[in-house]
Amino acid sequence: MTERVSLSDITTENLYHCNKCGLCLQACPVYKELLVESASPRGKVQLCKHVLEGDMDLSEKTNAILFSQCLLCGSCTVACPSGVHQDVLFSGLRWRATQHYGIDWSKKLLFKTLSTPWIMHGSTWFARWARKIFGGSWIESKIKLGNLPMDGIPPFNAKPFNGEVTEIVKPDGTPKARVLYFHGCATNYVFGDIGRAVVTVLNRMGVEVVIPRDQGCCGLPIFLSGDRATSLKCIQETLKLFAREDVDAVVVDCATCGSALKKEYPQILRELRDLGEDIEEKLVRDAELLASKTVDVSEYIGDHMDWLPTLSATGGSRIRVTYHDPCHLLKGQSVGLQPRRILRALPNVDFIEMGGPDTCCGGGGEFQIECPETSAAITNRKIRNIHRSGAGIVATGCPGCNVTIRSHMDKNKEIKVFHTAQLVAMALENHDLVS
Amino acid sequence: MLDPKVTRELRGIVGEKNYLDTPEDLMNYSYDGYVPESKPDAVLFPVSTQQVSDIMKVAYREEIPVTPRGAGTNICGGSVPMRGGIVLAFTRMNRILEINKEDRLAVVEPGVINAELQAEVEARGLFYPPDPASMSVCTIAGNVALNAGGPRGVKYGVTRDYILGLTVVLPDGQIIHVGGRTAKNVTGIDLVSLFTGSEGTLGLITEITCKLLPKPEAKQTMQAIFNDLDLAGKAVAKIMGEGMLPVALELMDSVVVNLVEDSAHVGLPREAEGVLLIMMDGPRESVKREVEIIAQLCRNQGATEVRVAKNQEEEDALWFARRSAFGVMARSRPNCIVEDVTVPVSKVPAMIREIVSIARTYNVVIGVLAHAGDGNMHPLLLTDQRETEEWERAQSAIRDIVLKAAELGGTLSGEHGIGMAKAEFLDLVMDTETLQFMGVIKRAVDPKGILNPGKFL
Repeated sequence: MTERVSLSDITTENLYHCNKCGLCLQACPVYKELLVESASPRGKVQLCKHVLEGDMDLSEKTNAILFSQCLLCGSCTVACPSGVHQDVLFSGLRWRATQHYGIDWSKKLLFKTLSTPWIMHGSTWFARWARKIFGGSWIESKIKLGNLPMDGIPPFNAKPFNGEVTEIVKPDGTPKARVLYFHGCATNYVFGDIGRAVVTVLNRMGVEVVIPRDQGCCGLPIFLSGDRATSLKCIQETLKLFAREDVDAVVVDCATCGSALKKEYPQILRELRDLGEDIEEKLVRDAELLASKTVDVSEYIGDHMDWLPTLSATGGSRIRVTYHDPCHLLKGQSVGLQPRRILRALPNVDFIEMGGPDTCCGGGGEFQIECPETSAAITNRKIRNIHRSGAGIVATGCPGCNVTIRSHMDKNKEIKVFHTAQLVAMALENHDLVS
Repeated sequence: MLDPKVTRELRGIVGEKNYLDTPEDLMNYSYDGYVPESKPDAVLFPVSTQQVSDIMKVAYREEIPVTPRGAGTNICGGSVPMRGGIVLAFTRMNRILEINKEDRLAVVEPGVINAELQAEVEARGLFYPPDPASMSVCTIAGNVALNAGGPRGVKYGVTRDYILGLTVVLPDGQIIHVGGRTAKNVTGIDLVSLFTGSEGTLGLITEITCKLLPKPEAKQTMQAIFNDLDLAGKAVAKIMGEGMLPVALELMDSVVVNLVEDSAHVGLPREAEGVLLIMMDGPRESVKREVEIIAQLCRNQGATEVRVAKNQEEEDALWFARRSAFGVMARSRPNCIVEDVTVPVSKVPAMIREIVSIARTYNVVIGVLAHAGDGNMHPLLLTDQRETEEWERAQSAIRDIVLKAAELGGTLSGEHGIGMAKAEFLDLVMDTETLQFMGVIKRAVDPKGILNPGKFL
């Protein structure tokens, strides 16, 4: 291609802060596996710079590098001493690349499905049915979706979570707070247990929970894949339901959705507006309002531990629990202390830090499907560290990490993966964690 | 452009996966942490000494320039392929081959990352002191090629002090082994020293035997605050003059202190003109005693406040300001140039005064950081390469800093290397005969001039 590629002035100016010092290399999980400069954040920043300056084409090779040598985990952005926002830059270039090279039909279909709640509903119903008729554990154990073994993917919920829960769940007595609960697609269609746990815990903390029934995809997976037009629809729908002054917080149970609501929405809208897209000022203000109210559920529980009923051990044996930091929670939202505070407070739990708790699990959404080899190498490091920790339970706060980790765990070791909120709910219900 | 026949031959040596020549890859190997850029014709990732030797035989025959590269974190342009040709990237030749507790040594391949070696040896109660700021990324062979230092240099010296032996591939492909596995070794000319710090101009390092120390039992850090930068400089000279041996003795001036406070709020007093950070290590009792002595010395020299870390948390808090200094400076402007002149310790106060006055003369923002205990100054110049006039002023300031350091009996570079950055200043600190002698060695070892051409040799 020969036409000049551009991004907003702020994003473009920011990349000139790259001193090429290379300190981002150690932070990048993809670089650490491939050990080649084009996979490093510094390499990609320089590539983007030349493309934006117009002396290099946004070639197919560059397109491939942007998608297959980057997890968009944000580790480089956190590590950069010069304050370069690689995450914004790379997702911006992905967008331009997608405009030029298009999106393949399977992704298009997936995004259409994700961004349209009724299609999503129908597809999960169909998938459940298909899995029952054609699936079976033997066949699934032989199939791999990229790096992801099919039998590691949990089954869909019998009924979408938002169809089984009432829209407003009030606590006993006067509520301490009133929150909106954004449960994301994963909880809605796959991890219904997480949704139930979140509602239980918030309820026992004395919080009134409002769960808007029509909520859909946050749009981030679509956005990160470069399809900004489709993701804009998701953003608008979400803002309509969640940008509200009359609630104390918007609680999110998914690290990725949380980073979208808390960090990405205002940034995306401003960037689109700077580039001349028709974005109303009200939409940006709504995004800023929502960003200021959004908290991850583990952050919310951890910051209000005193609202929880006393957790005391009622017999049962002790179990070792470790914690995996999802990139979109630690690097995306700076939440790492609270989940640990929660785990340390649970009865019968010996909290143990694994080696490299903050290194990526290698999932990265579609990354593990499109780049199975690199993904597998990154995942294997994570799994080795979990096994070495001797933990019986891994807690984490992202459904993506959850699926990636549980699918690759040594099947003989019977290590379980839970959302942090699930462990709190179990403790509240005096559930023995060992069984 | 390489001849297609040669390309085939080189691909045959390293394999498809380890041979890159797309426009994107060539761009990605055109730079390091310094400013100028120049593209190679091919990037090769050897994984054995034999492959390096085979590559060099081809390069020597065809007279193709070869520029070795580790992680590309140096800031003197040492790994920029100025004349094109081949970049030999050692990042995939990265195994730790041996860690020997009795002999106190480690044998590593060139691409092993400094911090990974440190972690591995420390897990065994051992210690590898060289700690360049880029240690989480940079490679051991890169450290050897540039004779890298770090904050711990005051007490522990630089990379050269920890290299026992090297395997080196010469420009014509011959493989030689210099040094050995013993702490003492005077067999023949000290060839380890010849190759250490030669910046890839004489040979390619493919295996390194490093000396290790036992890990010190305890360490403790303190911070001393001065309302006069000159007094801080004098305190440094006093501490060293009194026979104290700190692990690190770091200095920050008010430009750095205020920029750190603007962004990180670590509680440094904004009126402070000079802050010293001092770390001691050794047996617990002696660390305690020496910390007290140094605290008193600082007070006697006019320190308005001395804080001693009581636990690891306070230790980290004290170091946080120093560690974030580069980032804080780098964030405030597009380019942050780290100077590296080094002067005798007694001349630190004078050098600081010169830097402050040069900053004023050229109207350039310069923050002063220094590994003051060994006289290694790191003035940080903030500028923007795209603003020509400002860039010129910054370059003039650098020139003056270098001239002053030379006048004070100092040297061009303490630990960053010469590469392209300082090549033009060599004659300030070396007489013609010495420069010619380096040329004699270069021509004898690399008669065709194919190793890292366009640099200081």
